[in-house]
Amino acid sequence: MKQLIEISKELLESRKAGYIIGYTEDKFHRTKPFIAHTTNDAEKLTFNQKAVHNLAVYLTRLPKPKEGKIGIVAKGCDIKAIIGLIQENQIKRDDIIIIGMNCNGVVKDINIDYNKENSQMKCSICELRTPKHANYIVGALEDFAKSELTKNILAEFEALSAEERWKFWEKEFEKCIKCYACRQACPLCYCEQCIVEKSMPQWIDSSPTTKGNFAWNIIRAFHLSGRCIGCNECERACPVNIPLSLLNRKMGMVAMKEFNYRHGIEPDQPTLIGNYNTSDKEDFIM
Amino acid sequence: MEEEKFEPKITAFVCNWCTYTGADLAGTSRLKQQTNARLIRVPCTGRIDPVFIIKAFEKGADGVLVSGCHPGDCHYNTGNFHARRRWIFFKQLLDFVGIDSTRLYFSWVSASEGKKWVDVVNNVINSVRAKGPFLGYKNLNKETELPLVNKN
Amino acid sequence: MKNFVITREQLANLASKLLGENWTVISPSQNGSKYLKIKDAKDLIIDSALKPTDISMKEHFFPKSETLFFFKRKKDDYELIDAPGSEAKTVIFGAKPCDASAIPVLSKVFNWDYKDEFFNKRVENTVIIGLACKFEDENCFCTSVGLSPLAENGSDIFLIPLSDDKYFMKPITDKGRDFIAANETFISEADNISEPINDFSTPQKRFSTENVKEWLDKNFESKFWFNAGETCIGCAQCAYVCPTCHCFDIVDEDCYSCGRRVKNWDSCQFELFTKHASGHNPREIQGKRYRQRVSHKFKYYKDRFDELLCTGCGRCTRGCPVSIDIGLILEDINSHFLETINVNN
Repeated sequence: MKQLIEISKELLESRKAGYIIGYTEDKFHRTKPFIAHTTNDAEKLTFNQKAVHNLAVYLTRLPKPKEGKIGIVAKGCDIKAIIGLIQENQIKRDDIIIIGMNCNGVVKDINIDYNKENSQMKCSICELRTPKHANYIVGALEDFAKSELTKNILAEFEALSAEERWKFWEKEFEKCIKCYACRQACPLCYCEQCIVEKSMPQWIDSSPTTKGNFAWNIIRAFHLSGRCIGCNECERACPVNIPLSLLNRKMGMVAMKEFNYRHGIEPDQPTLIGNYNTSDKEDFIM
Repeated sequence: MEEEKFEPKITAFVCNWCTYTGADLAGTSRLKQQTNARLIRVPCTGRIDPVFIIKAFEKGADGVLVSGCHPGDCHYNTGNFHARRRWIFFKQLLDFVGIDSTRLYFSWVSASEGKKWVDVVNNVINSVRAKGPFLGYKNLNKETELPLVNKN
Repeated sequence: MKNFVITREQLANLASKLLGENWTVISPSQNGSKYLKIKDAKDLIIDSALKPTDISMKEHFFPKSETLFFFKRKKDDYELIDAPGSEAKTVIFGAKPCDASAIPVLSKVFNWDYKDEFFNKRVENTVIIGLACKFEDENCFCTSVGLSPLAENGSDIFLIPLSDDKYFMKPITDKGRDFIAANETFISEADNISEPINDFSTPQKRFSTENVKEWLDKNFESKFWFNAGETCIGCAQCAYVCPTCHCFDIVDEDCYSCGRRVKNWDSCQFELFTKHASGHNPREIQGKRYRQRVSHKFKYYKDRFDELLCTGCGRCTRGCPVSIDIGLILEDINSHFLETINVNN
């Protein structure tokens, strides 16, 4: 990763970047997020098929640097989150330097090496292996084993009856422990006061009962409708393996089907749910 | 012994400037309507976060009605436009998780449409009565209730 | 001291018998996610080489959500109704040493200035059958915190595999002895068989907790914490999967004329955990919250109860979405401490 390290060192030395959000590998060969503040730190930066984390989540959580912009190492899919944040006025394009990485697929389980079974579904259909909107593009594109696109899980799920769907989600949400890892791992969940934290009145129960879990997961999916960019970090972070991507992908498909909209494509595109059209359909309104 | 017929509980979220006034007009005009709906007044349908609708179902509503000003007539100019777009997503999300989204109704009722309000309310109550009680949440609520406690 | 032997088949038969007598029988689940209440003896999993489950055993003693009492409005007054509490006789088969040893550690805080009857009742009614451990990976470090694959702390009965389907069965507590006596038809005496401890390797210690504590005692304001906790996203997963983390939040849920008071899991990694009503937050950055996590486990709990609040199971690292490794951080602290001694010498 010489090119990545060289660019990062130059940015840090010239103070163009106050710090760089990237990946590093520890002594157990785990790839994990890492913030490089100095040129010594920059030597530790790396990128490989285990770099599945969406680093855009740090853009709204870390304090801004005292001097310089924020550098960020990003795959094509992560950049969608960055563009999404720009569309929603959370960050300015001028405040960040995007080091785009040519990507050869990433793992599903970070504890195992990359192989055909341990590959994200989104990688099989990826059109952003060479990222767009980046200040630099680094790395070599290589062929990689893609996971087989199994039958359309979403379509299969929708074919079930309403009762079967309820039973499925009841079983899944019973597992939920309200750890909010899904919310914390999501780059687009950046509200300073989340709706669950509002206690007067308490809209969503804080207790992890099945009833409260239904409300939490439905409302999170709703608040992300038209805003989710499909990075799948929520499902990866969940300690009890709830298939959250089903919910969020469904809302993404509604946005596509009803409004032909995808979030995070162009920075100056107006957001879907923040705007309206006087000719939106209303056949369901009495 | 006469069997107790099921009477649905409907929660209605209505906007203050149009629908609430329309409902008031229905009252002053002495128009007859069924009484199963409980109104909750909000300044504008744009204020309604779908979490309110979920909360209504959680608390025992069998059906929910959301009603506001006609597009173009919103007191705050654009509130109902934003709300309309949200509802398109929310209805489909409810269906996806197995909550019968046909228990959720939307309508535009203006301040002068007292008769329309009565028609809408009666319509909704009759439809929900035909569907029967909404059991999904009633079963979930058992998890947090003392079995012997009588809630009323 | 009498010891016993039991076969895998007899363990399954024992489980069937207990299920028939309405005992709650718990064992690690098929998919490795948690300790599950099983309904059929064929779901029993007894495997020394099993990876620790995704979430720990503590939910059977300290549930994720527990009602403390119900209240009902009566005219001008309220009636309080105690929650039923757990009376069910329970047995846990195949508890890993890093899970079983968490229970006596938790008992200390739950019997400190206030005795938590909910927790105590569950511990009283549960028989824990521990199982010696043959699993090791880069995430766990039980030997560094004073435990080992053969640690018997917390278990009422301890099983050590003699072969694929035979186990050496050692009673540890009186409760364990009584349980064996009540079920002796399934168990045979270990006549000339000795404890097969030689089959078990002791993983090397990775750091010294004495060194770590000494460093923690003196380095509260160190910049070390800002870097250690910088990439933490505050998801609190580590606290929820941990067998010893025990912070909880008490809330009231009401329906106007009735309701309940409930105790839920909470975590110091949430930003809201230390937010004062004034708006001030003494732990306003994640580095400070991470410092709290490590210090509570390796210093404060030791100061107060003379126990470490960590069993080295490694779940927090395995589950962390950004792979923060508490083991590596403790190794770093150990090195920092050794550097300061070298400098001083």
